[in-house]
Amino acid sequence: MRLRELFTAEVVKLDLESDSKDDLLKELVALLDLDEKSEAILFKTLKRRENLGSTGIGKGIAIPHCRSLVVNRLRLAYGRKSSGVDFNAIDGEAVHNFFLIVAPPLEVSNQYLPVLGKIAQFAKDPEVPERLLDLDSPAQFLELLDGKAP
Amino acid sequence: MMTAIDDQLVLLLEIQDLNAKAREFEVGSDLGEIEESHFGIDPDEAKAALRAKVEELEGRLDDRIRRRYERIAGHRDRVVVPVLNGTCYGCFVQVASARAGEQDPNASLQSCEHCGRFLYFTDR
Repeated sequence: MRLRELFTAEVVKLDLESDSKDDLLKELVALLDLDEKSEAILFKTLKRRENLGSTGIGKGIAIPHCRSLVVNRLRLAYGRKSSGVDFNAIDGEAVHNFFLIVAPPLEVSNQYLPVLGKIAQFAKDPEVPERLLDLDSPAQFLELLDGKAP
Repeated sequence: MMTAIDDQLVLLLEIQDLNAKAREFEVGSDLGEIEESHFGIDPDEAKAALRAKVEELEGRLDDRIRRRYERIAGHRDRVVVPVLNGTCYGCFVQVASARAGEQDPNASLQSCEHCGRFLYFTDR
């Protein structure tokens, strides 16, 4: 399955408001439209993953990810903060683009691993960081995935 | 939307998620390799940090729940399992419809009558 098929416009936010890492994770989680308790559990799980080492892979891109029982299928979201946020990224630079991946512990379709790999591969395309910053609408994000993402 | 979830169930979910993450760092795991190669995570350090957090959270379980948790963990791979469409995803037996149909089934800690695992009801 291609990445484009796993995103909808509803889980894309091009004007993230948060200025801190924690708030930004919460804002991303909110895109998944879970109940309040589930959001809190998911935030903690993502935060614990970040405590192991930042998911900021450099070039302004981060891929927060985890498995959690609070979702019953693979869930993805994308958010952009044009001014950037300090996310303790590997290259020490601010992060502008955030790809959230959450999967249940057991997935029949077993997509979590390939999706994580595909997003990492997409993010490493030299043109992608700039193209992401130029987006004007969620529809353009989906078009970019169509054209560039595996 | 506000949904009630039993505090002990929240702890059990966190423990299970952390244990699942720790297993991802076992030798030969594909996900562990991605974590190492793309995100620069040291697998041994990550496992140690996760295990330490699990121990801390286990210490916050009520004694009665902890005994049940340890008993289940002793012979089952997963202590908490989701209920989807009324089916326990630990043993794949139908959960009593009255329990599955409650408005907030996660507001109290429930176990599968067939396999004994703790249940997390999800329709998300």
